[in-house]
Amino acid sequence: MNADLVLFALAAGLAIAFALAMVVQKTPVRSVLSLVVTFFGIAVLSVMLAAPFIAAIIMIVYAGAILVLFLFVIMLLNLNEEAREKESRPVQRALGLVAALALGGLLLGITLRAGTPPVAGPAAGARIPSVDEIPVVGRLLFSDYLFAFEASAVLLLAAAVGALILSRRRME
Amino acid sequence: MSPALFDVLAGIAKIAAVWAVMLVALLPNLVWAERRGAGLIQDRPGPNRVGPFGLFQAIADVLKMFLKEDVTPLYADKLLHTVAPAILLVPALTTFAVIPFGSTIPIAGRNVKLVIADVNIGILYIFALTSVGVYGLVLAGWASNNKYSLLGGLRSGAQIISYELSMGLAAIATFVTAGSLKPSAVVDWQVQNVWNCIPQAVGFVVFVVAAFAETNRVPFDLPEAEAELVAGYHTEYSAFKFGMFFMSEYANMIAASAMIVTLYLGGWALPFVTATGVWGGLLSIAVFWTKTLAVIFVFIWVRWTLPRFRYDQLMSLGWKVLLPLSVLNLLAVAWIVASKGTP
Repeated sequence: MNADLVLFALAAGLAIAFALAMVVQKTPVRSVLSLVVTFFGIAVLSVMLAAPFIAAIIMIVYAGAILVLFLFVIMLLNLNEEAREKESRPVQRALGLVAALALGGLLLGITLRAGTPPVAGPAAGARIPSVDEIPVVGRLLFSDYLFAFEASAVLLLAAAVGALILSRRRME
Repeated sequence: MSPALFDVLAGIAKIAAVWAVMLVALLPNLVWAERRGAGLIQDRPGPNRVGPFGLFQAIADVLKMFLKEDVTPLYADKLLHTVAPAILLVPALTTFAVIPFGSTIPIAGRNVKLVIADVNIGILYIFALTSVGVYGLVLAGWASNNKYSLLGGLRSGAQIISYELSMGLAAIATFVTAGSLKPSAVVDWQVQNVWNCIPQAVGFVVFVVAAFAETNRVPFDLPEAEAELVAGYHTEYSAFKFGMFFMSEYANMIAASAMIVTLYLGGWALPFVTATGVWGGLLSIAVFWTKTLAVIFVFIWVRWTLPRFRYDQLMSLGWKVLLPLSVLNLLAVAWIVASKGTP
């Protein structure tokens, strides 16, 4: 048995199972935690694709910052159980089901048509040689993707200022 | 012996050695050292009855924790209440994987690097793990279904997120000078040049203050401020689950001290001494642990010296003082490195 394959199955299974758990779970706090485990599974997959930097960023940014803030809001609002829906919303349910099926079918179709991946994935058994990826990422960010990088920085700054102004206005 | 097998065996040996030092030698004796240190500073004996100088007090405490009744509150979230201490403890015990605790040591004709995993992402691994550790505190507070616990959990979450930024930015400056994210590269740079705490004194101070906040130690122990919150996030914990919180506090303290030593105090290196071979390797290990213990003593010393911050003081210190300082430090270091023209 290929050890990489076992690890891949474990990480991918973990990610999918907890993604499902996140949706099904009634308690919002547990939903957030399920999402953390999902991110952990995805981070393991990135490590297997010889991208530990991406894995670390997923854990630090998503699991470590964004989801903690989610947890904060949920705890502060004391949402112990999701507010029970008064009406069952049949139209939305049907639409949601159709959209989910369409997206799933699309993904499955693309995956099946793509055939063998151009880059040997972990399941292919060949381990990708590990290179120091941080200088590569840095160089790309400040050359080819400089505009996108700076634009997103400005966007984030604008968002932060906007959030500040909105919260100030509510206080007054 | 094949090289691959040798690497695996060496890795297992290193993990066993580090955990043996942490769990058997350091953790119990640190509790003793903290209580005796408190006694020393407050001019009283401290625990001195069990064994010589009270050294076996830790064994008695651990036994007591094992034998006590484990109480879970009736309306607690039982699963999360049980899992939370483990979420906190596991990252605290695994951060050591990327910290170089010695130079190299020759075993069976090969030089073994004295670090468990010398990975490229280095310090990011530590930050990724500590950011998971926050969940332990926050969940412990939430799952206990107790208002004091909840407030403690919220406080710890806000505090750790706030100070993680300054800590990360201060640490990045050391990687800019070393030109790599590997902690071992940072130590090598310090061996060849100068300890980082001298040229980056600002970053050093920011990092140490943030490390105190990250480990929830006085003067930043608001999550368990006993005067306001009973015991904060671990109010509803007893027996060995409480023991796990207790252990993770000290494990975090050891890891934070080891990081301070690695990034700013020259790691395993002794200035003006270059020794190689088996004795050089052993000397480097001894130097590393001595420095780490010295930093841990500072943690204990500060705990029994300073009063606790108020919550608004804590936040304004983190966001209005430490964060700008760490950004300025990073900019200055980056500017100097860039003007020298080194890649």
